[in-house]
Amino acid sequence: MIADLIESLAKIIFIFTVNLGFFAPVLGWVERKQSALIQDRIGANRADILGFTVIGLFHSLADAVKVLTKEDFIPAGANKFFHTMAPFISLVPAIAAFSVIPFGGKYTVFGHEVHLVIADLDVGILFVFALASLSTFGVVLAGWSSRSNWSLMGGLRASAQMLSYEVAMGLTIIGIIMVFGSLKLTEIGAAQENFFRWGIFLQPVGFILFLTCAIAENKRVPFDIPEAESELVAGYFTEYSGLKFVMFWMGEFLEIVTISGMVTTLFFGAWHLPFVTDQMLLDFFQFAGPNGAGILAMLVNIATFFGKVVFFIWLQMAIRWTLPRFRYDQIMRLCWKMILPISLINILVTGLVLLI
Amino acid sequence: MNTTTNLDPAKHHPMVGVPVDVLKPKRVRKEVNLTLWEKVYVFEILRGLYVTTKHFVVNMIGFVAPPKGKKRSVFTVYYPEERVTLPVAYRGRPVLVMRKDGTERCVACGLCEKICPASAISIVAGEREDLDRYPVSYTLDMSRCVYCGYCEEVCPKEAIVMSSEYEGLAERDRKNLRYSKDRLLRSEESVKDRIEYIRRIYSKWNY
Amino acid sequence: MPDIEKDLHTEHMVINMGPSHPVTHGTVKFLVTLDGETIVDLKVEIGYLHRGFEKMCENGTWQQVIPYTDRLNYVSPLINNVGYALAVEKLIGIDVPERCKYIRVIACELSRIADHLTNVAAGGLELGAFTAFLYFVEARELVWDLIEMLCGARVTTNYVRIGGLKNDLPEGFSEKTRDVFKRVRVLWKDVDHLLTKNRVFIDRVRDVAVLPADEAIALGFTGPCLRACGVPYDVRKAQPYLVYDRMDFEVPIGDTGDNFDKYLVRMEEILQSMRIVEQALDQLPSGPINIDMPQYRWQSKDDIGSRIDSLIFHFKTVIDGIKPPPGEVYLAVEGGNGELGFYLVSDGTGKPYKCRVRPPSFPLTAAMSRLMKGRLIADIVPTFDMINMIGGECDR
Repeated sequence: MIADLIESLAKIIFIFTVNLGFFAPVLGWVERKQSALIQDRIGANRADILGFTVIGLFHSLADAVKVLTKEDFIPAGANKFFHTMAPFISLVPAIAAFSVIPFGGKYTVFGHEVHLVIADLDVGILFVFALASLSTFGVVLAGWSSRSNWSLMGGLRASAQMLSYEVAMGLTIIGIIMVFGSLKLTEIGAAQENFFRWGIFLQPVGFILFLTCAIAENKRVPFDIPEAESELVAGYFTEYSGLKFVMFWMGEFLEIVTISGMVTTLFFGAWHLPFVTDQMLLDFFQFAGPNGAGILAMLVNIATFFGKVVFFIWLQMAIRWTLPRFRYDQIMRLCWKMILPISLINILVTGLVLLI
Repeated sequence: MNTTTNLDPAKHHPMVGVPVDVLKPKRVRKEVNLTLWEKVYVFEILRGLYVTTKHFVVNMIGFVAPPKGKKRSVFTVYYPEERVTLPVAYRGRPVLVMRKDGTERCVACGLCEKICPASAISIVAGEREDLDRYPVSYTLDMSRCVYCGYCEEVCPKEAIVMSSEYEGLAERDRKNLRYSKDRLLRSEESVKDRIEYIRRIYSKWNY
Repeated sequence: MPDIEKDLHTEHMVINMGPSHPVTHGTVKFLVTLDGETIVDLKVEIGYLHRGFEKMCENGTWQQVIPYTDRLNYVSPLINNVGYALAVEKLIGIDVPERCKYIRVIACELSRIADHLTNVAAGGLELGAFTAFLYFVEARELVWDLIEMLCGARVTTNYVRIGGLKNDLPEGFSEKTRDVFKRVRVLWKDVDHLLTKNRVFIDRVRDVAVLPADEAIALGFTGPCLRACGVPYDVRKAQPYLVYDRMDFEVPIGDTGDNFDKYLVRMEEILQSMRIVEQALDQLPSGPINIDMPQYRWQSKDDIGSRIDSLIFHFKTVIDGIKPPPGEVYLAVEGGNGELGFYLVSDGTGKPYKCRVRPPSFPLTAAMSRLMKGRLIADIVPTFDMINMIGGECDR
């Protein structure tokens, strides 16, 4: 019992540290540096502490200091409670969604079975989608409660976009669920041990559709009309400053991580290396004894998982800097007239193939 | 839109009246009709991603192993540690050239004052004891100067040249922007490249 | 649900996309009457960058106008210089030497390349393709480096003189130009791969702001926007000036006049301009670049120092200005946006009596309200970008 508690606590602390402490600031740096390298320039690297500029990583620290010292205002006549609540509602689901994503398999360490996932729910995938729906509330509240025309229109557009793409996202996943036969993310991850059973080979169309819907859900370019081009003012977070603004941004970056985690788990073999099974790993580390082998295999799998997550973060950032953005009616047309029918056909074809 | 009446419409373009083989119109649109391959977004997005990834990888490697003769392969010049090498033709701040005895070459003829399109120069002329003309006061209002180079072009004595200074031009008080003669004087060695350049381009023409 | 819509009480919203707005890079005000997201009416107001160019010209001498013309179309200043100088030379009735004509062509085409690069880059930026913007800005930097090597400044060039040029080509110019064009072609191909067949981009710009050719001519369009409608009118071919009749280049035309055609026409014109520059550098004759008429073009410093008539005319033309014979002239050159016309009236004194500029982007901006009726508000962005209204020339 105590061992279970320690294990859960360790996993929660690990995920929190990795997410909030590592990914959130580093993603800001990655965005600046990656865009700079794509665009033939150096990027931000002047912030230094005692003369050490660590290739620009201190800019995240400088951002944090700047944000904490900014004046925090609420526009006159705005609904104070909702105005303050909105960033939280946007941020918390992004963090919480990572609790069902497995970053490793099952290992026996010191006589105790460790599952490397914080909460192994029976309805794993559905939980993630439910939380994504919750973050829609944050956007709508932000647009509504700041008493401004631009924010309202931005919030309305964002809500319509996010709702439509949630529906589509749910349908794109059904193919994968049918193939693997379970909603539990740990089972889907474990079933991809064989390289040719990876989700990408079984459901290539589903992967593209899911990635598109997830990027649209996250309001990144090419779907970023709620924030960048809503009548070319800042959209639904016009009236935010300081820490609340940063919470919206952090929510967006953490959703990038969550999407990468989901894509890795569902389509790219979760924590498995390409042609290496679990038993091969344990045999490889036999020299360290059974416990040591378990721990080393655990570390290798965690590293593989996060390596793949980093690759998908890079891919989403690269997509951001490559594509122009859609017009609002084209986004809606894309969802309802293209992604939805294709995902339904995908389900049909998957069903037929499974029957045969 | 009418063409002139004695043109043969078969050989001339009806809207412009110029022969088609001279006009050489080239239709750009029909080369870009989308095939079905391109109607699916994904493949063109992959091509775009290939372009950006190529830049990314080349620049990333260029930080570690830069190409020959350059410090890095990105396009940025890391100001203020590195500076752009300006061509000799660059028109920076106008300066007065100093003779060996510390006085200016300027004879206060007033041509630069008259040609300046922004009326930035004001000269008060005077005479020295040996009946040499010189400017008693020469004021160049840097808040008006547009760096066009006319003053340098009309000066018959090579007394005012456009140096290549572009830094230190900002002041906190507008009064300090009216440069007087002592702020404008420079020794001949410091502007010798520019003097050589203007001799090359302005001295002798082959009409 | 048409019956519900009949009873719904809706109002049209009037939004002011005012002079300082990210999309109106040129300080223009749009008063947009919206019904939901659809534009019902669009009123254009210009004049926020009016600086009194024509009045200023009447206060200065004929040579002092040349730095003012730099600031008309400030992304292609050499074309403005050349246009004004050609107009004054036509008024006087002189002809410049051959080498001067070739170098003027090279300068015009380099400026045109910079203009089109800027325009396509800004279009990409407004639509969200940041990378295309920065690639073309890098290409533009290289072209500006060439112009800086030529005349000393990147934007306020002040290069062309009445009766010649300020200075000859620097040494190494030909080789440097070819190197720069190699890199510009690489970047052009990159942006072409990023944008031209990208369905996201095409959906934004295709079939937006379609204009039939006769309506375009009636509105007064010229330049790439008219060529996008299918009319191959290019001043360089229709009324050739300088040595354009000896250059071998094509005039790209579009089909429907929508934004996609404007984009394609401009991209193709960049390549054609590079072709012209390379041909001009190959055919460049040696010889003088200034005419030998001291009453119109001040002479070399040696002559001023040694010949008395050069000195006298130097002083007279600097202080009083050159004196073209009384009369009036209109001359048009092909600017970056269309037909840039100069209408000059001289009364025999050293200052112009009237110096009017026919801005190519004035009729284009005026056509915005006809183009935008019935479209969405998000369509203003690519349309106004591709029209390329430069505040300096539209408002003077």
